[in-house]
Amino acid sequence: MKWLSLLTNEWIKIFSRTRTWIFLAIPIVIIIGIAVYDKVTTDVEVNENWKQELTQTVKDDQKALDDAKKNGDNAIYIDSLESAIKQNKYAIANDISPYETTAWQFMKDMAFISSLIGLFVIVVASDIVSNEFAKGTIKMLLIRPYSRWKILLSKFVATLGFAFVMWLVVIVATWLVGGLAYGFGGMDQSYLITADDGQVKERLIVEYVFANIGVEFIELTTLVAMSFMISTLFMSNSVAIGVAMFTLFAGNIIVTLLANKDWVIYTLFANMDLSVLIDGQNQLVKDLTLPFSISVLAVYTAIMLAITFTVFQKRDVKA
Amino acid sequence: MIGGIGERMTTHTLELKNLTKKIKGKTIVDDLSFSVREGEIFGLLGPNGAGKTTTIRMIVGLISITDGDVLINGDNLRGNFEKAMERVGAIVENPQLYDYMTGYKNLMQYARIMPDVTKERIDEVIELVDLKYAIHDKVKTYSLGMRQRLGVAQALLHRPNVLILDEPTNGLDPQGIYDLRNYLRLLANNGTSVIVSSHMLAEMQMMCDRVAIIQHGKLVRIDEILNQEDETEVKVHFQIEGDVAQAKQVLLNLNEDLNVTESGQELIVQTADVRFIAELNKQLVLAGVLVVGIQRKTKTLEERFLEMTKKGGDLNEVAVPVNK
Repeated sequence: MKWLSLLTNEWIKIFSRTRTWIFLAIPIVIIIGIAVYDKVTTDVEVNENWKQELTQTVKDDQKALDDAKKNGDNAIYIDSLESAIKQNKYAIANDISPYETTAWQFMKDMAFISSLIGLFVIVVASDIVSNEFAKGTIKMLLIRPYSRWKILLSKFVATLGFAFVMWLVVIVATWLVGGLAYGFGGMDQSYLITADDGQVKERLIVEYVFANIGVEFIELTTLVAMSFMISTLFMSNSVAIGVAMFTLFAGNIIVTLLANKDWVIYTLFANMDLSVLIDGQNQLVKDLTLPFSISVLAVYTAIMLAITFTVFQKRDVKA
Repeated sequence: MIGGIGERMTTHTLELKNLTKKIKGKTIVDDLSFSVREGEIFGLLGPNGAGKTTTIRMIVGLISITDGDVLINGDNLRGNFEKAMERVGAIVENPQLYDYMTGYKNLMQYARIMPDVTKERIDEVIELVDLKYAIHDKVKTYSLGMRQRLGVAQALLHRPNVLILDEPTNGLDPQGIYDLRNYLRLLANNGTSVIVSSHMLAEMQMMCDRVAIIQHGKLVRIDEILNQEDETEVKVHFQIEGDVAQAKQVLLNLNEDLNVTESGQELIVQTADVRFIAELNKQLVLAGVLVVGIQRKTKTLEERFLEMTKKGGDLNEVAVPVNK
């Protein structure tokens, strides 16, 4: 019948709540705060004499590298020092200032905000099913002339829509704040990466920013599917929020602990941070690449959705 | 039970056919069958735990059906849920609403997804449940009675022809109950079938046309609540001052077959004939018995219900025994 009305309803419910607006405001406030702080404290001198600064950094890094090799330190640490030295030398030789901030550089620097968005999306996604069970309002919804899967689908699509809108709002806000603070130029600005073969390469920041926008959509979809499944299975938003946040934030620690296990690349944890793969393979687990991780996430998402819809379809509502 | 209707064609809006619900091997609703006619108020009466709520939840699709069928306006709930539910309005237990939205926005939630609900209809329903003064306030500021009325409003929005109310008088004050009763009667007169469940006997008797008594998930019987008293079930109580046994003898002398019982200072005679009652009174007075009061008493649904479930006392005591 009128499935779109179901979607409208869910959308209205999300935006009728004060917390939704707070969730939208927090990242924007943080971004503005960082830009203002950066403007106030940045030493213009350093920016103009960046080559001298960088030469000094290379010297310090070289010393640290020698020490590290002598002491037989962690290979990853040595690798990262080596790649930093190579990148800085390349920057000096090719006149690419790492201190030159533009709107696009600012957007790249602010990419970490996506974890915060992930957190808020988890809260909304966990709540949209379990809260209706907790409050009993689910009864008023399920007695309507709609199959249950249609109702659940409207909730899933509404949450995804919310996640995407939130992400886009934050991106646009970052671009605006960055542009106002540092100028809107910099489309042609590049940054340096160390490729898999150890060579330093230049890459456009714009490319990174758009790749990051794309992978974040994928991550958010998986995150929503996971929160959905847990909140439908346990009918508790606190369990859902807890598990989803654990996966989002503790994932890296677990992967580090299990890095030597072959199967770790097939876990959800190992694939939840796609942005580190934009510049190449994962430094911790070399088998992880962007296409591989996206495939794994797709499979997990499909399975989680299948479980959610099956359980929801059959559940006896006694609330 | 359809006998009273005689030759007239009866349309059934809701039919339960051998409806059964088992949860973990335990039978909650056992082979329940009944039909609800168009334009009647039908009660589901039973002690707590009899399976009323489970039955209602199966009818509205909140709980899966183990066995049997539910037909609403001829559509089978199990095969054609969306079609069957189109003209159903319901409140299952307390109406739960979105606290963070206004009453009006709550109604809009349901208006949007039900067929043919116009803005005029929404206003009409708000007027009907007398919530106009608070409809733009957030529901979290509402009293229980106001929530109940908003619940009724959402159930009526799409002009359902089957209205299902689970314990509708919970939380209503006497005025609210009175209004609800009148309103349900109005709806029924306009052709809506109303199904209400309750464990309150007196309430059901005042509200319903027919009552299905349910115990242990089984249908015990269906009673018609008649406005005219059922002759065999009317008793006359003569309050006597003085010797009751002597008075009884006076009546027995009049008619040996008369069914007379003594109860304290009262003589109870089973009859509904007003002239006969007057005759009895005359004989008593002529015999010099002092009659200080005469009362006609109809057997109440309560008495019938308690008889049915073969226990006396408070209804709550009737509940629960697991084995028959």
